[in-house]
Amino acid sequence: MTADAPRPASPAHRLPLRWRVMDRVEAVAAALWPAAFRRATPWAFLAPALLLVGILLIGLGYLVSDSLHELNPATYRLRAEYSAGNYEAILHKPVYLAVLWRSLLAAVLVTALTLVFAFPYAYVMVRTRSGALRKLLLVSLFLPFFIGQVVRAYGWLIILGKQGLVNQALEGLGLPAATLIYTYPAVIFGLVQYMLPFAVLMLAPALTAIHEEVELASESLGADWLRTFRHIVIPMAKPGIVGASVVVFTLTLTDFAMPEILGGGTNDFIANTIYDMFFQLSNPGLASALSTVLVAVGSLIVALVFRLAGTGTLGLRSGS
Amino acid sequence: MRSGRGKAWVLWSMVIVVVVTLALPTLVIIGASFTSGDIIRFPPEGLSLRWYRALWDLGGFRAALGRTAYVSVLCTALAIPVGTLAALALARRRMRFARTIQVYLLLPFTIPLVVSGISMMMLFGEARVLGQLWPVGVALCLINLPFMIWAVSSAVNALDPELENAAMNCGAPPVTVFLTVTLPAVMPGVITGALLMFILAFNEFLVSLFLTDSRTVTLPVQIYNSIRNVITPDLAAVSVVYIVVALAAIWVLDRLVGLEIFLKSK
Repeated sequence: MTADAPRPASPAHRLPLRWRVMDRVEAVAAALWPAAFRRATPWAFLAPALLLVGILLIGLGYLVSDSLHELNPATYRLRAEYSAGNYEAILHKPVYLAVLWRSLLAAVLVTALTLVFAFPYAYVMVRTRSGALRKLLLVSLFLPFFIGQVVRAYGWLIILGKQGLVNQALEGLGLPAATLIYTYPAVIFGLVQYMLPFAVLMLAPALTAIHEEVELASESLGADWLRTFRHIVIPMAKPGIVGASVVVFTLTLTDFAMPEILGGGTNDFIANTIYDMFFQLSNPGLASALSTVLVAVGSLIVALVFRLAGTGTLGLRSGS
Repeated sequence: MRSGRGKAWVLWSMVIVVVVTLALPTLVIIGASFTSGDIIRFPPEGLSLRWYRALWDLGGFRAALGRTAYVSVLCTALAIPVGTLAALALARRRMRFARTIQVYLLLPFTIPLVVSGISMMMLFGEARVLGQLWPVGVALCLINLPFMIWAVSSAVNALDPELENAAMNCGAPPVTVFLTVTLPAVMPGVITGALLMFILAFNEFLVSLFLTDSRTVTLPVQIYNSIRNVITPDLAAVSVVYIVVALAAIWVLDRLVGLEIFLKSK
């Protein structure tokens, strides 16, 4: 198709402006991207996204290369020669391994707790007959999701803080104040609360895919609801469960704000340690090495889960 | 839901626990922002709008809010064309290396945010653009791009490829087909994705922490920096800005595409 340039017409019947504009646009497009290139159109569509993500890839290149240079304490510059010294330091200093374990344990705990509470929520949301109730559950899910982590952590700080609402209430009742904030449970609690919307949104589509007749069949054959859940609903929802677990696990493992604000430096996760290495120890080499370890550990665990349980809802579907 | 009382009881009690847990910080912040006292007390000492007035006078927060809005708009404006085109290319045409490309485009999700933040800080530092505001918008677009691609991809199913072929058979040139057939069909996805990108950029904290300094600080980082041991109501008033924006976004999303879109199974 070639776009005809608008013919000079008598003013009485000129082509509408929109047609003329579109003809111009088509002409320019045809000049820039002739029909012979049609096969490559998808690649042209993809190029901007590939370039954008390329920025991250180049950045990661800098990171890995920095991780292979040790800090020279005399000059506070990275040494020119390559070495694996930073990695050795991480593997041989108990403090870093302790942080790694703390983060991994939190990831396991938060994933388990979040799924236990997200599952009934998603189930009720999908199964309820009442549109108003479904809307209410959706809004109560999206509101915290859209408010962001810092503001939510601040809300918990008001509730759990040393002079927070809970302690004021205890004081009012003449009870001793409790240490709620800056503890490991506080961090875990904040994280579970933060992850719930993610988990529910990953589970809901998987539960939608299960026909209610299957559950009714199971119950009419004499299974009570717990057995129906155990043998029918949960196995059929496995893709959603795998997807939600992987998302919650990796987000928890690498979280920064909750341990920082609700842990107050007493319960650092890997991300907080990386930040401190960079900005307090001023050691970019060590921070980069720990970052690389974090990526490796996270990817390894996710790969393992995918191998054992399939990719769930995170599966890659190539072209429909 | 038919079937036993036990089931309803157990499920409902768990759902209520979750609803309360999710709502509590929001409600407490709203309550705290209207207090008339200097610290947050329970029961509240009285109602006043003094902290909102104080907020208006806090020059730092106003500027930070402006910068956050700028960064979010930039992020969204970049995400709409980049994400939409990528999603169309991936979902419509059988491509070679499709799987590899998908894994590659999911990198922003698979790389932890703290690592992305440091990496981009290093790169932008080398490129001498660190300390400017536009790289923050680009970075936020990058780390959330999979959301945009996902939103548009899920709308592609509404587009029958035969429609495009029909338009071409009727003589429509390629750009016309794109603008009058392809784009309107995936519009709900584009809108959903754009809204998500805006909101996520608006409250993104960790990557911004690495990429901003005192002159370019955005609102979430400003709030984080202002959190002290003594809990004062001024931050609660700032946080209410977030609650209002979130509510507005939910309302728009519901009116345009319906929140139920997130429950659909593929």
